[in-house]
Amino acid sequence: MSAIVRGVRNTFRNGVRAVGIIVILGVVIALSVSMLIARQAVSAKISSVRASTGNTIVISPRGFFGGQGGGTPLTDTQINSLLSIPHVVSVQESLNQRLTTGTDTSLTSPITPGTLGQEFGGGGGGGGNGGGGGGFGGGGFGGGNGTGTFTLPIRVTGTNSPGTSLVGGANGGGSEKLVSGVTFTPTSNANVALIGTDMATANKLTLGSMFTAWGASIKVVGIYDAGSTFANATVLMPLASVQRLAAAPHQVTSAVLTADSVDNVAGVVTTVTNQLGSAADVTSTQSTVEAQLSPLNSVRTISTYTLIGCVIGAAIILLLSMLMIVRERRREIGVLKAIGAPNRSVMMQFVAESTTFTALGAVVGLVIGILISSPITSTLVTASNSNANGGFVRGGGGGFRGGGSGFAPPPGGGGGVGGFRIRGVNNALTQVHTAAGWSTILFAIIAALVIAALGSTVAAATITRISPAEVLRSE
Amino acid sequence: MLKVTSLSKTFRTDAGDVHAVQDVSFTANDGEMVAIVGASGSGKSTLLSMLGLLDSPDSGSISVNDTELAYLDARGRSDYRARKVGFVFQQFNLVPNLTAIDNVKLALEFAQWPKNERHARAERMLAMVGLDTQKISRRPSRLSGGEQQRVAVARAFAAQAGLILADEPTGNLDSETGKRIVELLRTTATQEKATVLVVTHDQAVADQADRRLRIVDGKLTEIA
Repeated sequence: MSAIVRGVRNTFRNGVRAVGIIVILGVVIALSVSMLIARQAVSAKISSVRASTGNTIVISPRGFFGGQGGGTPLTDTQINSLLSIPHVVSVQESLNQRLTTGTDTSLTSPITPGTLGQEFGGGGGGGGNGGGGGGFGGGGFGGGNGTGTFTLPIRVTGTNSPGTSLVGGANGGGSEKLVSGVTFTPTSNANVALIGTDMATANKLTLGSMFTAWGASIKVVGIYDAGSTFANATVLMPLASVQRLAAAPHQVTSAVLTADSVDNVAGVVTTVTNQLGSAADVTSTQSTVEAQLSPLNSVRTISTYTLIGCVIGAAIILLLSMLMIVRERRREIGVLKAIGAPNRSVMMQFVAESTTFTALGAVVGLVIGILISSPITSTLVTASNSNANGGFVRGGGGGFRGGGSGFAPPPGGGGGVGGFRIRGVNNALTQVHTAAGWSTILFAIIAALVIAALGSTVAAATITRISPAEVLRSE
Repeated sequence: MLKVTSLSKTFRTDAGDVHAVQDVSFTANDGEMVAIVGASGSGKSTLLSMLGLLDSPDSGSISVNDTELAYLDARGRSDYRARKVGFVFQQFNLVPNLTAIDNVKLALEFAQWPKNERHARAERMLAMVGLDTQKISRRPSRLSGGEQQRVAVARAFAAQAGLILADEPTGNLDSETGKRIVELLRTTATQEKATVLVVTHDQAVADQADRRLRIVDGKLTEIA
């Protein structure tokens, strides 16, 4: 019978104690396994959220929001210089303009103002020459009569990336799909336009139809569907054409940079911010998402520390147990040495015993850990997100409407756009799915070995110090 | 042949130095049984510990067949204890969770006997010391004191050790059983051609030995 077999058999020499040690180790290992699974699940969620946030950075004149004015337009030169920043692969520029029906254009908005429109725009009535600070109708657009009745302005977006615009982004809506006609080239300076389906229907326009804007005749070359009423009530034109017709040479009200990877977005944001200084607001979805990922990062940190703590705790439990067992069998160790057992053999016997304790504890812990990992992870994530959401809702409650319209945020709702979307992200962040794979089992094995190794050290050191002569002399 | 020359051991205590063994010299031949008689605290167990290489002498030498042993390193000592020395203790000191035969096989394992010979050798030794066949698979707790000591004797002789050191082997046995154990030691020593040193304070046990030595305050004298 080898030392290892003796060690394994010795594990069950005292049945009650063996069960006690195995259960305690099992519970601690179960906690560490569940923390590992939670960590893996949260890490996977973080990675997937980061991967889905995209690698774009939005630049707009400081103070500018949704075509409502404010700030000083950026220029082509400023935007094009950003292409030299490392990791920037493309720049999409746009210039947003609003035209007043009857005065600036022959087009009529297909959107009826409704209650919200009256609320935002009608109240400001006052003559049609007011400065545009406020809501929709403001004095400047409604041409109002003071009672709040007005017509929504026509939103024209000049872009040098019509292709990109047509797959979502520049038009403030979802993904635009060209349903008929063709698009224009990025460098076009022609008086051509793509219009949304609702705009076409409301103004009885088809391919080849003409409308007027800034006193010029514009030809409809394509009709798109963006899936939302707001986006389908918009006009897309070449950037150069809009700059020329609106007498806004080289002006840009929005630019979208694309970085070569999600990992470089933060660095590009910093560089662009430094380069443009106070002239621009630079935002990325990543920074917003990172803020929302903070609770998950906390869960990951907590689970990591708990995991390490559990492994160390298990090692200490085993260490003390083995120390107790060695002290209890001091005479037996002395006898073994007296009849010729080398230190190595006796130590191996006790290491085998501690490894058996740990292995059985690991099996128990693995099973329990897998079973409790899902509720523990859910609890951690939910609790963590609840804390984060509490702060957010108070701060961004007013932001919903701003985000919904894509136009002016209500007072205090500066974070509105983000606010609305983030709530959606947050709901998704609580949906963390746990799964135990081979890596979990591998961890349990490695953890068991580490625990057994750490737990055996003091016992082994004690064994080497036991003198058979002293033990036998005590007879 | 065991040859001990000028062996000394002193323990340093708070109360002062204790000269446990002082300048002890003697020889013992193969197959001979030598009794060392002494009162409690006379130094006989310390002498036995040094002879079994459980303890190191301060000075002097121990040689077996002209091989010096007293100053072997730790590995050499454990190897010597496994192959050349057998111990019989007053408290039997069998491993409690091993059966009688496994206890004997344990000594063979440490002596690195071939695996396929261990079981047969252990059975033969247990038969030699008179343990019933049906009891060889019992654990020590299910054996009487005399039976446990028989197993201990079998363990001591199993690896064909040349030197058997018995420390009060009858101390926990009734007189009749003790007498049988000493007789067993004697006959086994003869059969295995081993030297047996029996430490005892029991004169009846000493009388069964070929030679008797008395130890008083660490000094050894031959009893005529």
